[in-house]
Amino acid sequence: MNGLHILSELLLMPLIAFVVGLMMVLMMRKISARIQRRIGPPFFQPIYDIVKLYGKDTQISHGLIHDIGIIMAVGGYIGAEILLPVPGMEGIADKGGIITLSYFLMIPSLGMALGVGQCANPNGSIGISRALTSMLAYDVPFIIVVFGAAWHYQSTSLVGMIEYQQMNSWGIVEMPFLATAGLFALQGMLGKQPFEIYIAPAEIATGPMVEMSGKYMGGLFVMQTFQLYTAGVLYASLFLGGGESWLSLLPKAFLVVAIPMSIAFMFPRYKTEDVIRILWKWPVMLALIGLAFIL
Amino acid sequence: MKKELLIKEKQAKRTNPLAHVFDDFIDFCQSKSLFMLHYCTGCGAIELPPAMTSRFDMERLGIQPMVTPRQADILLVTGYVSVKTLKRVILTYEQMQAPKYVIGICSCTVNGGMYWQSYATAKKLNDYMPVDVYIAGCMPRPEAVLEGLQRLKENIKNDRKQQKGSAWKEYFANYDTYLGNQQHLFGDDWQTPVDIIAEAKLYGLEGEGTYGKNTEKLAKVQQPLLPQEMKL
Repeated sequence: MNGLHILSELLLMPLIAFVVGLMMVLMMRKISARIQRRIGPPFFQPIYDIVKLYGKDTQISHGLIHDIGIIMAVGGYIGAEILLPVPGMEGIADKGGIITLSYFLMIPSLGMALGVGQCANPNGSIGISRALTSMLAYDVPFIIVVFGAAWHYQSTSLVGMIEYQQMNSWGIVEMPFLATAGLFALQGMLGKQPFEIYIAPAEIATGPMVEMSGKYMGGLFVMQTFQLYTAGVLYASLFLGGGESWLSLLPKAFLVVAIPMSIAFMFPRYKTEDVIRILWKWPVMLALIGLAFIL
Repeated sequence: MKKELLIKEKQAKRTNPLAHVFDDFIDFCQSKSLFMLHYCTGCGAIELPPAMTSRFDMERLGIQPMVTPRQADILLVTGYVSVKTLKRVILTYEQMQAPKYVIGICSCTVNGGMYWQSYATAKKLNDYMPVDVYIAGCMPRPEAVLEGLQRLKENIKNDRKQQKGSAWKEYFANYDTYLGNQQHLFGDDWQTPVDIIAEAKLYGLEGEGTYGKNTEKLAKVQQPLLPQEMKL
């Protein structure tokens, strides 16, 4: 494998993630529309939104850290994409492994915290403190799930995990408790109801996004596409056997992302302390039971 | 002053042959994706939920509600505007990022409607900020609201050809007139947190009417903006 080959993969992997993520955003908006008996947005709506936001005539910046925060938020996910193996492309996945990836997934939240801090909007500060609190809440079951999966596959490399699952059976069959706990954590990671505390449009006016306008909001929209893609593909590689080809990987990833959205509208929004309580109780308990089975 | 005019000329001259393609594409996207901030001042607000939800579904036209002025493109003023409310509407409008559009719903925003004789109500919204589309009626049905939004989308798409969808430039170009009307209602010490003149200078949006006797009056009373004191 020469340098040019790796370089082309490093460019292609985030690009594919962006395109697939756009479709995932569209799918989520369509699902929420269908649940509410609406038609929903047209096919190219996510692209229209992003182009429009970047094409605004006036852009307000609150300072250097505000700019850097957004770059960190998008860059953290771009870094995560090249560590996430997909059919035909491995990037630097065999060098990083899942532990590096878990660290990369925290960078966007920290970047947002930096950027929002300089906006000095009280709603933004409340929002980002809630976002970091909920990160603390969902990361505990998430890390237990990652540890359990790595123990079971006897490997911290995602490439190795996918190979194991394709030789034997899928992770969801061998570790059902861990897979369920992972879905729980996913709901919190994507910030869907009932763990929607840091967006809360009617309460704190979309929290961290309150002062974001134009290209800053556009950056966050791009970040959302990467976030959905990462969540879907990571869960599919951990528990659903990854994919031999894109045709088998993409349906799994879309299915995983569709689950949180489909059940989101059944719930109201929890209070911050209740989110921590429920995420540290049920998914952690499930994950520990799952861990006891495989250890 | 000279330097700023130079900047303006530079912006007007587009040397890239593909520039108009990008401009048209951005115009197209702007007309297809509109984030809406509804400032529900009066009874017209009750017609918005049916326009947004399953019956008429605004999202299929690419219009969705947003909750802060920073993110929004459209400011919907849905009903009468009292003098006290108008201050807030102006603060909200000035915080929005251009291109921004204002839609006045109900007769009250057109000419005061049934509040014509009220001493506490601002009659024409157009005197205080440039309005793109008026939707008359007491109150307009959701069909009429959607019709007005479609009209706005058409205007935005044909903006560069017909100069219809850029009423927001008026606010920068004729700031003196708008400021005069605002001072007439709120008193001579009226000042907003957003420095419109500085913004007009920065983006090259100044016009003949940006400066005048009203802006001179503002310059006399204008306090520099300082961060608020932190206290519990």
